[in-house]
Amino acid sequence: MLFSSITFLYYFLPLVLILYFIAPKKLKNVVLLLASLLFYAWGEPKCVFLMLATIVWNYCFGLIIGKAQSKRAKKIYLTVSIIGTLSGLLYFKYAGFFVENFARLTGIVTPALNIVLPIGISFYTFQILSYSVDVYRGEVAAQKNPITLATYIALFPQLIAGPIVRYKDVAEQLDSRLHSFDKAAEGIKRFVCGLSKKIILANTLGELCEGFYSSGDLSVMYFWLFAVSYTLQIYFDFSGYSDMAIGLGKIFGFEFLENFRYPFISKSITEFWRRWHISLGSWFRDYVYFPMGGSRVGKGRLVFNLLTVWFLTGFWHGAEWNFIMWGLFFFVFLTIEKFFFKGFLQKSKVISHIYTLFLVAVSFVIFSGNGLQEAVIRAGGLFGAGDIPLVSEGVVFAIKNYATVILVAAVCSTPLLKTLYDKLRATKVGIIIEILEIPVLLMLVIIATAYLADGSFNPFLYFRF
Amino acid sequence: MKNIKNIVSVIVFSVFLITVSSVCLAKPDTQYSDAERRELAQFPKTSAETIATGEFSKGFESYTTDQFPMRELMRKIKAAFSTVILGKAENNGLFYMGGHISKIDEQENEKMMDHAAARFTYLRDTYLKDNKIYFSIIPDKNMFIAEKNGYPSLDYKGFAHRMKSKVDFMEYVDIYDLLSADDYYNTDTHWRQEKITDIADRLLNVMGKGINGGSYNENTSDFPFRGVYSGQYALNIPADTIKYLTNDTLNNAIVTYYDTGMPKVGDMYNMDKASSKDPYEMFLSGAMPLVTIEKSSGNQENHLILFRDSFGSSIAPLFLKGYDKITLIDTRYVQSGLLGNLVDFSGADVLFLYSTSLLNSSLAIK
Repeated sequence: MLFSSITFLYYFLPLVLILYFIAPKKLKNVVLLLASLLFYAWGEPKCVFLMLATIVWNYCFGLIIGKAQSKRAKKIYLTVSIIGTLSGLLYFKYAGFFVENFARLTGIVTPALNIVLPIGISFYTFQILSYSVDVYRGEVAAQKNPITLATYIALFPQLIAGPIVRYKDVAEQLDSRLHSFDKAAEGIKRFVCGLSKKIILANTLGELCEGFYSSGDLSVMYFWLFAVSYTLQIYFDFSGYSDMAIGLGKIFGFEFLENFRYPFISKSITEFWRRWHISLGSWFRDYVYFPMGGSRVGKGRLVFNLLTVWFLTGFWHGAEWNFIMWGLFFFVFLTIEKFFFKGFLQKSKVISHIYTLFLVAVSFVIFSGNGLQEAVIRAGGLFGAGDIPLVSEGVVFAIKNYATVILVAAVCSTPLLKTLYDKLRATKVGIIIEILEIPVLLMLVIIATAYLADGSFNPFLYFRF
Repeated sequence: MKNIKNIVSVIVFSVFLITVSSVCLAKPDTQYSDAERRELAQFPKTSAETIATGEFSKGFESYTTDQFPMRELMRKIKAAFSTVILGKAENNGLFYMGGHISKIDEQENEKMMDHAAARFTYLRDTYLKDNKIYFSIIPDKNMFIAEKNGYPSLDYKGFAHRMKSKVDFMEYVDIYDLLSADDYYNTDTHWRQEKITDIADRLLNVMGKGINGGSYNENTSDFPFRGVYSGQYALNIPADTIKYLTNDTLNNAIVTYYDTGMPKVGDMYNMDKASSKDPYEMFLSGAMPLVTIEKSSGNQENHLILFRDSFGSSIAPLFLKGYDKITLIDTRYVQSGLLGNLVDFSGADVLFLYSTSLLNSSLAIK
């Protein structure tokens, strides 16, 4: 089930909220778990069994690791647990990719596997791995209550598109959490902002991108317009989902960590990744990069560590070569920044912004492709490859049709509005701003609903994650 | 203050959510959307199988979207927000310019053109080897509006050139120069009958028929015509009025419909349809597989067979100026292979008259 649907907003959510708030404290997690299973099973009923199996596997191994006396035994149990958990991800997400590439390399004809990728498998697999590793490290105690652990893994607000919530961050909240009007109001505001970002901005920008994909009238300018629009679409879609997850979390009494912090104001790729999909970046940092030695190693080893992390980051996003290329693209520039011109970028404000935005836009063009070939063609299009004209009629109309949306999206991707809002709230008109907040939010919900009721373009971008 | 605001916020949104949710559940289901001219999704079939395969959930998503309370108002809100606030130049692929709603249709579909050409070739090979065959393409009205207003549109001349080269056994009649945007309804895709008499005359001339039968009387339907684009565009645009032409020849003509397998004599203009969901269907009763129009004289010497789409309904009566009998065939609703049993092709002139939009999405042509 998608947050951006009538079914979720006006059937599922009200029912779950009512049941949740009338349920006694000890049953709240049961309500959340059942709701989450229904939420997940809604689109793909069969896949829910894989998730349940993963939960049972990790619940058992969590207890075993927690009880194991020796470090060696813990390590063995953790290894088995990780292998078991990752095997689901490897099979459902990557088996087709490996078989296809094996066939290409060897020339051996292999049948197409046609494995359905369970939605959100990458997110919940990473969440559950963090649990097992943290139990192994002794940072958290193994969860004895299977309902509590299952609620953590299956929790519908962050199940299908993140953020990747770590067990240690919510362990206490799973047992006891605060519900208040303040938190709920904050959650509502956050959810509505996320919903609006997804439906009004991301989906409209998505229409432009769809027009680009099907256009027979491409030009260099159209490729760049696509690059900008797609980058903004991904940002508003992804951060919109994170906002909705964080907002829903607050309503149910949870505090999830931020996942995006205005990434487009970054002055380097290094900074960009501190602001973009923070939960994924920090997961790789804590569970891959640091265990490999992090940056406290020799230069050669450091490069290897970075290469591994960024290869895996790219591959996590999808089982296609263009995602690997996307990850390695960042590896190259992060390495260059680390060794050569980090200082220069910090000094130069304008150039560093242009540099970062340019590379991020190019990277998302690579990301957008269905496979390496398409990614290369699209990236080439940005620089005139393929003998395309500089300008075409198609791009002129696309600019005319989407100029305001792009402008609004560009402004909203910076802290400008929030800063203005905070400043105004501190002035004499602050009270008016406070009073207006509720009708404005209500209006945004109505507009988002209007888009849904119209059956407007409403893609789900994370089906490959 | 902040505490009060937060309490109010939670109460307002709770009431909103529960109210909308209750209305969603209580509202009786609607079968048909007049504005969009389509059947709305109904509650899906519930069974273990449909639930297990996800078919139920997909159906339920469509159902909740289609049956949302005050959906037409919501569609208007979306259209207004999208065009006025976000400044979009179109809504749902339609735009409003110079009093017309027009549909952006810029992509030429070679496969669809090939399909249409293959079906026409089959008809020629099966029935029309000894007939004179003519062909004309009706341009979409977007071609008269889009380019000068900065909207994309199909390259009509290129499209016509490529299409006629695929069916070069027919004599092509160009009618583009006789048309302008005002020859079409403001809110609909179709052309206005009162504006296409010159088109009928040109086609008759090319087909070597003298033009007899005098002038027409112009009549106006009493019912407003909100065309197919009106509902899709969602914003309120003034309705069109339908005008239709009559004279003694047309008034006395015998019209026979073969929609139920049995011939049924009826009127040229079906005034019951004029007040229906699609008033354009008043012209020869709309979508029909086979219709004949005959002069009351009973003479059937000059016979025209018109392979057509919906545009043909309004122009066909005007061909009575040159023909004694006109047979309209819409192969979207009748198998081409069956036509030999239904129509006598011998000695008839044949005209294939199709709109660009149908040729560009011709899969329905059988």
